[in-house]
Amino acid sequence: MSPLHFSFYSAFTFSSLGLAFHRTHLISALLCLESMMLSMFIPLSIWPVENQTPSFALVPILMLAFSACETGTGLAMLVASARTHGSDHLHNLNLLQC
Amino acid sequence: MTYFVIFLGICFMLGVLAVASNPSPYYGVVGLVVASVMGCGWLVSLGVSFVSLALFLVYLGGMLVVFVYSVSLAADPYPEAWGDWRVVGYGLGFVLVVWMGVVLGGLVDFWKVGVVTVDGGGVSFVRLDFSGVAVFYSCGVGLFLVAGWGLLLALFVVLELVRGLSRGAIRAV
Repeated sequence: MSPLHFSFYSAFTFSSLGLAFHRTHLISALLCLESMMLSMFIPLSIWPVENQTPSFALVPILMLAFSACETGTGLAMLVASARTHGSDHLHNLNLLQC
Repeated sequence: MTYFVIFLGICFMLGVLAVASNPSPYYGVVGLVVASVMGCGWLVSLGVSFVSLALFLVYLGGMLVVFVYSVSLAADPYPEAWGDWRVVGYGLGFVLVVWMGVVLGGLVDFWKVGVVTVDGGGVSFVRLDFSGVAVFYSCGVGLFLVAGWGLLLALFVVLELVRGLSRGAIRAV
């Protein structure tokens, strides 16, 4: 595997592992989602360069637009959690007790 | 030049590792800023400067600013620091998982080193990324309208989520 391909592959894997193992704060999970989005943006931007297809350069811009929507929604849920429970600690989100 | 781009790629990976194993959201945001600066530098080194600047403006200038003040709303007054053994353990665990995945997948030939830049394909009058994003306004105008509509709807979604005093989507707020 080329070192650059390994770099964004491992960046995506680190952030998804960080999302799976987030510890105390909800915002740490949201930050891991952001870094997943960033680690997908970089290869989507490199793809038109490597394959010399300019029309694919629009895909990372579109992805940035939808990721902004996702960020806004996640932060709105963070604010709602801070209003209800006083903090965004994950042990407060315990309605589903299995 | 190739080694500089590889160095930027390695720093990108380390920044994202810092986000994943963050002791506190303050340090997670620092890792995200470092990772996005390295990613932008990587894209500029390859020649696609337009998407790199779009990333800087929208991501660092817009989304991370909002994240930083949300972190100030939601984080601890006494955060942990990097030297805590749990943080180091998480970081090493993530690196171990990724390395095991690479080794067991049989992907360890790192000799394929090379960087193709934006000017590698002959003569053209316009740059690759400028012309590509310009397609968004000419042939891809339907996607443009869909994305704009989606962004407008996201504003209303946020409004309904944080509308307080039991009038919104989350009744307990």
